[in-house]
Order: sequence, then C-alpha cells, then structure tokens
Amino acid sequence: MRALNALARRTLVARPLRSVLTIVGIALGVGVLVAALVLNAGLDAAAEQSAHDQLGRADLRVAAFLESGLSPASVTAMTTTPGVAVVAPELDQRTYPAPNPLAGSGLPVPVTVVGVDPEPDAALHDRPLAGGSPLPADGGNVALVSDALARANGLVVGGTITLNGSAESGPRTFRVSGILAPVPDDPDPAGRSIVVPLQAAQALFSTDAVDLVDLGLARGTSVTSVTAELERRLSVEPYTLTTPDELVARLRAATADFRITIALVAALALFGGAFLIFNTLAMTVAERARDVGLLRAAGMTRRQVTLLVLISAVHLGVAGVALGLAAGVGLAAAVTALGSPGGGALALRELVIPPGGLVLGALLGFGVTVAAALEPALRAARISPVEALTARLDQTTVLRARIRWLSLVFAVVGVAGIALWPSTASGSTGILRPLGVFALMLGVALASPFLVGPLGALVGAVTRPFLPTEERLNRSALTRDRSRTALTVGGLAVALAVLVALGGVAATTRQAAIAWLTDVVPGDALLTAVRPDALDEPQLADLAAGPGVARLSPIGMFAVAVGGLRLDAAAVVGADLLADGRLPLAAGDRATALPALDAGGSVILPASISDRLGIPLGGLLQVLAGRQTVALRVVGIASRTIPGTSGESVLVGWSDATQRLGALGAQYFAVRYVPGQAAAAAAALEPLARADALELAPLQAVEGSIGASVDRLFALLTALALVALIVAGLGIVNTLSMNVLERVRELGFLRAAGLTRRQARRLVMLEAAVLGAVGAIIGVVAGVVAGVILAALGPGIGVAYDPGWWTIALALVGGVGLAVVASAWPAHLAARIEMVRALAHE
Amino acid sequence: MSPILEAREVTKRYRLGAGDVEAVRGVSLAVEPGELVAFMGPSGSGKSTLLHLLGGLDQPTSGDVVLDGALISRLSDDAATKLRREKTGFVFQFFNLLPLLSVWENVALPFTIAGEDARHGDQAAAIRAALASVDLAGKERNRPDQLSAGEQQRVALARALVRRPALLLADEPTGNLDFATGTEILDRLWRSCHEGGQTVVLVTHDAKAAAYADRVFVLHDGSIRDEIQLGRREDHGAAPLIARLASLGL
Repeated sequence: MRALNALARRTLVARPLRSVLTIVGIALGVGVLVAALVLNAGLDAAAEQSAHDQLGRADLRVAAFLESGLSPASVTAMTTTPGVAVVAPELDQRTYPAPNPLAGSGLPVPVTVVGVDPEPDAALHDRPLAGGSPLPADGGNVALVSDALARANGLVVGGTITLNGSAESGPRTFRVSGILAPVPDDPDPAGRSIVVPLQAAQALFSTDAVDLVDLGLARGTSVTSVTAELERRLSVEPYTLTTPDELVARLRAATADFRITIALVAALALFGGAFLIFNTLAMTVAERARDVGLLRAAGMTRRQVTLLVLISAVHLGVAGVALGLAAGVGLAAAVTALGSPGGGALALRELVIPPGGLVLGALLGFGVTVAAALEPALRAARISPVEALTARLDQTTVLRARIRWLSLVFAVVGVAGIALWPSTASGSTGILRPLGVFALMLGVALASPFLVGPLGALVGAVTRPFLPTEERLNRSALTRDRSRTALTVGGLAVALAVLVALGGVAATTRQAAIAWLTDVVPGDALLTAVRPDALDEPQLADLAAGPGVARLSPIGMFAVAVGGLRLDAAAVVGADLLADGRLPLAAGDRATALPALDAGGSVILPASISDRLGIPLGGLLQVLAGRQTVALRVVGIASRTIPGTSGESVLVGWSDATQRLGALGAQYFAVRYVPGQAAAAAAALEPLARADALELAPLQAVEGSIGASVDRLFALLTALALVALIVAGLGIVNTLSMNVLERVRELGFLRAAGLTRRQARRLVMLEAAVLGAVGAIIGVVAGVVAGVILAALGPGIGVAYDPGWWTIALALVGGVGLAVVASAWPAHLAARIEMVRALAHE
Repeated sequence: MSPILEAREVTKRYRLGAGDVEAVRGVSLAVEPGELVAFMGPSGSGKSTLLHLLGGLDQPTSGDVVLDGALISRLSDDAATKLRREKTGFVFQFFNLLPLLSVWENVALPFTIAGEDARHGDQAAAIRAALASVDLAGKERNRPDQLSAGEQQRVALARALVRRPALLLADEPTGNLDFATGTEILDRLWRSCHEGGQTVVLVTHDAKAAAYADRVFVLHDGSIRDEIQLGRREDHGAAPLIARLASLGL
C-alpha cells in the first residue's frame, strides 16, 4: 500500500497544473456546499434569535388583527385568565418627530413609538441600555431612544424629543431617560425607535387600544390550556396567537425559497466539481495507459491498479475538501458580513458553523470525488498489457461507461441536495422545482455527448470565414475524445444554465414585483403616510385641489380574516381605477365591477387567491368582521393586485373597508397629474404633502426601489452560481491542456511544416471558443427551460416568463469568453512547443 | 551555383544536469541544389540534431545556417517558420500524420497552413499529382489508421512533396518500415531529386538507404568524421559505401 501511495502521489506531482486545477475545482464545489450549510445554520440561528428578541421570555403573544387594535376589555380578559402570570401590553405606532435641528429642510425621518407598561415589560423583555436609566414604573412623558435615533438627532440623556401625535393630542415632548443599546431586531426598520410608557403613547395617539399583548405564564401552566381559555374569553375583536416555536417556524419559512435556491446552486456547483475530478482522472488514466499496461505486465493486479487510481483521488480529495471547508466558511462569512440574504425577510446576524455541516460537506466532497474516480479506476484495471501497448481505447465503450458514471455522480449530488434541503420547505411544488431543474441538468449532461458534434460543426461553419486555416485544422478536435469534450461542455452548460435560469427568474420576479404598480396604481406618483389617514381629513382635499393634480386616489392596506386565514386587503376607489384605465380583469366586466366596489358588498380577488380559496367570479367571500360575517360578492378576478405583507390583496371599496371591515384610513394616495403639468405639479405638491407628513415619490422611484431589492437578492445567488462557472472554466483549462499534450507531436509537425506560433495559439483558442459556444448554446437553452420550470412551479406571479435577454446575451458572450480566457495557458503551451522535442515525443 | 543549404561552424550545446553536452560541434558543410546527401552515424552522433538545425527546427548555439541565401538561424521565429513553409518539406520516421484528418486533408496540410484553399484549382491538382506519385490515388478519403505503415509513410512523403519545396529533409524515413516498403520510399525520394531537381537531405543509420545519396557525411560525436563521395548512380548499390565505412572502422 505504501508503494501504491507513493506512486499515486508521484502521478499527481507529475502533472502539477492538472492536479492543482482539480483540487481547486473540488474546493470550490465543496466550498459552495459548505457555505450553503453554514448559511442555512446561520438563518436558523437568526430565526431563533429574532423570535427571542421579539417575544423575549413571553410564552404567548396575542396580536390585534385589525388596525383598531385590542381594546382594554380584551387586555382585562387576558389579565384574569387563569395561568397567566405576566401581561405586557404594547402599542406600536409610526410618527414624525418635530423637525430635527441636525437635519435639512426635508420631511423628518419617521420614528416608531413603542408604548409599554414598564413593570411587566421588564419581566418579559430585555431592553439593554447604552446609557441613562430605564423607564420609571409610574410612567410620565419619558422616553428611551434607540442609539441610532440618538446619534441622528443629537439626543442625550436628560434632553427632550417632541413627537407629532394625533390631531386631537397634537405634538408632545418627552424627556430622554435612557439610550437603548443597538439591537438587531429594532421595531423600527431604520432603527429609530422610542420606547415610552404605554399611557403616554396612548395619550399621544388618542387611543385606549394596544397592538399586542405578550403573556408570561405561571410555572407549571401549559400553553395549550391558556390558549383554549383565551379563545373562549377573547370575543371582542379578532386577534392572532403566536408561540415562540410558531414564530421561529414562520421566520424559517420566510427564507425557504432562498435556501432552496442556495441548495440547488450548491448541488450544481458540486456537480461541476465532479465533472472536473472525473475528467482529470480519466485523462490521467488515458495518458498513463501504457504505464498501466507495463505495470500489469510486471505483475500488478487489477485490484492494485484500481487502488492506485482511487488513492490518487483520495489525495486530490483530501486537499480539495480541506481547502473547500475553509473556502466555504470564508464565503459564508463574507455573505454574513454583507447582511440580509433572505431578501430582507431575515438578516444573518452571526456566522454559525455547524460541526455536522462541516462533516457532511467533507463526506459529500469525498463521496463525489470517489464516485468520480470509480469509473476511471475500474477502466484502468481493465486495461490489458497488450491493449495498452497497441490499440486505442474504444470510444463508444468509454462513452457508455461515462454516461453510467454521470448517473452515479448525480445520485451522490442528489444526496447532497437532500442534505441541504431546508427543513421548513414543504409542499409538492416546492420540492418539484429543484427536482425538475436537477432532472433537466442531468438531461443536459447526458445529451451533451450527442450534441457536441453537430453543434460544433455549426459553430465551426460560423468561424470558417474568419479563421479558415485554424478552422480546417481544428475541425475534428472536438470529437477527438468525445466523452471528454462532452464532460467539459456539460460542466460549462450546467453552470451557464443555472446563471441563465437565475437571470430569467430574476427578470420575471422583478417584473412581477413592479407590474402591480403600473397595473393597479391610478397615478404618476405615490404619497405615503406613516399611519392611516382618515379620508375625511381636510388637508387631503387641499392636496387634491393642488395645481396640476388631476386626481388623488386613496389606497388603504389592512387585513381580513377568511375561513381562519389572514388575507391582505386593500381599499381602493373603483371609479378612479375605471377612469384611469387600471386594473385589467382576467374575469369579470371592469365597467360594472369597479363601480360595484364603490357601491359596497363587492370584492375583486387576485387570481392567486381565487385559485387558492376556490372562489370563482360571482362567488361569495365570507369575511369575519368582529362577531359577524360579511359576505362580499366576487365581481372580478384580476391577474394581479396590490402586494400585502403575505401575498396579494383582495380589493374592496372604501365604504366596506371603513364601515364593515375595520380599516382606519389610507396609507397611500395615488396622484395623477394633469397631462403636461407633472413637473410643476410635483414641485407644488411636495411642500403641501410634507406639511401633512406625507412623502411624495414618483412611481418610477418606487419601481426602482422594488427592483433594486429584487436585484440584491439575486445578485447573491448569481455570485454563488458564478462559482460553478469558475469550476467549469477550470475544467476547460484542464481539457485543453490535455488536448495540447495529446497533440504535442501533431503540433510539433504542424510547426515544422510552417505553422506559426500565432497560428498554433489561435488553433487552441479557436478550439476553446467552439467548445465555449457549444456549451453556451446548450446552457442557454437549458437555462431558459429551467427558468420556465422554476417560474411555472413557483407561486403564481401573474406575469409572462421573461427569459432575461441580457443574461442570455451575457451567457453566450461569457461562455465563449470564459473558454477563450481558460485557453490562454494551453494556447501558450501549444505556441511554445519545441518542435524537436515534440517530434521525438511518443 | 551557390549552395541551397549551408552550415557554417554550427555548434549545438544542451544543458544536461550541471554540465553542457555538445550534440553538434563546429560543423560546416554545403549542399548544392538538386543534390541528395545523407548523414550517417551511430546513435547519439548528432545527425538528427544537425538535420533539425539545417531545417530551421532548432537554433544553433553558435554558427550559422543559410537556407537558399537566407540566414535562417538568425531569423525571428515567424520569419523562419514562413521560410520553412516555403522552402522545405519534412519526412519523419514516425510519419506524423494527423489521425483525425483524411489522406487528402493530411496531404493538403501545407496549403491549409499557408491559408490556401486546397479544394480547388492548382492546389487540388498538386495534391492529386502528389498522391498519384506515391500510388495512393483512390485512398483520399481514408484515415491514417486505415492504412498500412508503408502507405502512411507514402502519405507523409506526398505531403512533403506537394508544394514542390526546394529542400526535402528526411529523418530516418525508412526506420519504421520493412525492407520492400523502405525501398519504395527511397526510390521516390531519389526520383524527386533526380527527376524533379529537388534537394534531399537524408538522415539514416542504414547504409543501404545512405547509398542512394550523392554524398554521405559520416558523423561521430557531433562532428563530421568523413565525407564520402558516391556520385549520382541509378543502381543505388550499397557495396562501395559499405566498403568505405569498413575502411573507416565503422
């Protein structure tokens, strides 16, 4: 064994470039895999931490379902529920502080006011202070301000901050008693929160309600029994109950799609690595067939030959896996440092390195390496001394064996995919997507050997007019070792397919994310309020009467309960949508449906909810409103409506929204300008809006902001997919180097016969370009199909699939470019061949 | 008439471990147009190295090589390559055919490399003529692995002759062939010299092959030990050469 080990090591050392490329290939494959596992662990930890930050030591959270919140009667009912030891009510409202002397003349940045009852709140929540003292138990107009707000507004302990309240209460001033230490889960999206006594907050916003109540249970009390009792007692207004476990599960589910995609990309990167390992070992066996024959003639058994190749693989595997583990952790650390990969749903807080994940990554890396080595090892063992010294290996047999091998490696990578599968992901279409894409990639890999010839001829015909000499000399190069070429093309095609699919899905998601704006919003700009504005507020009439403003259309977002489900709802003015030509309907008559919304008793459903609830046009949507049910007739079904917090919204008229369903007012106002007066109207509207604490943004800016967040999410996934492309690039370097080495004698003769160094270099680069073009063509076609699968099996997004033409163009150019860049070293080798030595080369 | 090929004090030195090895030591010679010369000598005597230097495949450490009036040893790689493409044709012991190309495509290589279309016109006629001259008409579509060793070497010869280069360099062209096939190749080389006026430089360790030459240079330890004048003879008998070699103790 020691002798075999030494021999294997020497074999690898003899071809340092190839060995290093393979090790890097394994390392990148394992690296992406490990990064995915580490990121998954980090997201899990972040979910648990986030749930803990939100609920603290509470055993249950009762949250108001409607904007009107939970009444004092409900809070009292909770207080008297047996088994409830601590009741910590909370009121969360957004408002504007009085103008900040440190800021400019624009609208002040809003803050989130958190009203808490200091004593029970302290029992359930940690609110660590960076300075000052906590809220006094007896209340008063005192405040704890977040570190970010204190810095931005120059607040210090003992200073004051004035907050705008409701119309009745007006502005009120609070004395800063303490500065809150920064926490990851600040209630305010910008970290600008103010914690004040509950009574002071209720006085500021003129309400006696609260938004949520956290409950601490008495020792020995079960959550189930308290939940049952609460459900019996709480009958005044709708609410939701959440336990810490449920919150963790919900947070995990929010990142499931992201983790599925990471798992898919990681599995495919590992597959790309497997291509490289297999190709390297297959080349080594082919190159050393004569040596193997001599060793067999000298008495080496088939088993020893198999072991020799497998030991070589183990050497490569050890180095690659070790490097890959480090690279994976580094990659995950970089992603963690960058922030929120879950598209804002959940931010990674810290690097969590799961020991099991590292072991799994190492085992899978070894598994793929050994699986990749099996076929070359067995083939080497079958080489007879006579065959090795005379004939070439039968290409058809080799191809068949390699196709069998591909299936084996796919099985191993499939195990990797299952290992990476997010535990929170469920549902048949959820698992069908990656399975569909994975099956497609297997198809690509298996079909590549048969596509290389015809596609290569096609690409060759295109290059012939430009490089006739090189094209003629190169014509058969791709089919020299069809299975090797196919593996290289396959690796490249799979990597490019992932990129094209991600590009298509990103473009489609981007379109879907912004399409509602142009389809549903009847205006050129949006005014945004920090809290719902009642429609009868006089300043709204002033805004609507502003110069150049044709129409001001309110949009109110709230939630409704339907059959135990929480649905997002939006109150709209049907007449405005009709006049503006917005909201095309997939079913129903716009001309009657939109006025019907304003008349009341009607609803327009998005197609996704109509399908999900099985309610067709003309059916009834039974909405729970307080103690009674409101039946709304479905008068139209739209391809898409306004996105809410958990899906698309059902659209209702304002009369139903405010009088029957508990909506308090509008958070958005769509502004339609008089044609040709947009610029002047916007300039005039902005100060008016600012005075009413409304923020004006053109629709394009809103589109850009939504598109940018989609782009950020996909940029990370694309970066991971690029690793697979790098692996494919290494494969190309490997294959072309081998091709050059195999053709040393041939190239030597061509040089002797008058081929210049430049021509020799171009010969290899052309071979690479053709190889890259073939890989790019296959990859683009497979990528578009994969994108369609991902989009079709995903949640309905109501827009046609956009293949992402830029990504396709980039993939085609990038595929060829990568191949040409990867050919630089082999081309250099070809150009520098010493004719005399080459001609003496056997 | 000025020589077509000339070596002036050509030396080729290689590094070997800590020291240097001189494969060719101060060789000077001249080959006239239409002449057939042979280099003989034992293994390691430097005959192949000298051929490579004369053909511009390698650069001498010192001294000069003049090919058809051009100092090929001092030209840039590109210029030397182009000169080689125009003036020389090579035949090697191991044929060096491109296995994936057909017979026609292999013979057409010199045109292909020069960027000429060999499918039509004069080039196609030249390929047909070259193949006919080595009795391979009808085998144009075959691949090298479908031919015998002798046929493969005839393809290599046709390839070397197809552009009618002024100088043919042949390195052990019969070393891999049986006697009868070797003789066919040598006959064809001799005819291209005798009838076509091409200059041939032949490297061989076989006295029967060397006997086709007008002059034989005997190399030993990288130097020319002797020059044997045989003159142009139709019978190619090896007896005079063998007798002379015997007198030299070889």
